[in-house]
Amino acid sequence: MGKSQINNNIRTLRFFNDEMTQKELAEKVGVTRQTIIALEQQKYSPSLELAFRIAHAFGVPLEEVFTYDAKIEENK
Amino acid sequence: MSFQQKNVTVSLVNFSLILGFYLLRVTYLVRTENFTLDKIIWVWIIIAIMAVVVTIVGTILTHIISTIIEVIKTGNEDPQIEDIQDERDELIDLKGTRVTNTVYSFSVLLAMLTFALGQPALVMFTLLILCGIIAQIAGDIFRLRLYRKGF
Repeated sequence: MGKSQINNNIRTLRFFNDEMTQKELAEKVGVTRQTIIALEQQKYSPSLELAFRIAHAFGVPLEEVFTYDAKIEENK
Repeated sequence: MSFQQKNVTVSLVNFSLILGFYLLRVTYLVRTENFTLDKIIWVWIIIAIMAVVVTIVGTILTHIISTIIEVIKTGNEDPQIEDIQDERDELIDLKGTRVTNTVYSFSVLLAMLTFALGQPALVMFTLLILCGIIAQIAGDIFRLRLYRKGF
């Protein structure tokens, strides 16, 4: 499984939100801590609903959490 | 290790044991020339019961042991066990099921081929059960691989 085309700033946003733990974020958005780990390591692209829930948990727009890297697709 | 990952591990161990038991019994029946329908049908019944009962007991034991370990680790008498199944778990489960189905499809063809080549129907059904167990193990291994890799 290659690197996801969807990049995210979850690690940074957690840091700027009182160093929120992975477990706290997982509980807020209703997933397991392992899913947050997979997201932070860019190994898993979330569903649209989960992406919105994560953005809502940080109180920021979706595009501040997730960005689309078109270069990976173009280089294929 | 997440709760779902532990469940897959329990299933893998369970079906590996069932595979071992099945192979031993079938080999014994063939060696002693007792490979007949009335003998093998009991092996199939035991396999079916083992698959259901041991999986249920294994899941309950996993839950209990996880709770005990969590209590020892945290000292909290009412620990929060993360036993939810989220979208990633569901996707991993679906991919594992796809591997199981693919392996089993090829196995059915193989079993039917033995019948077409003139082997008795008993051999075909014995192979079908054997391949069902192997397909389940293949699916569990694939699920664990995805869990280890992240996705």
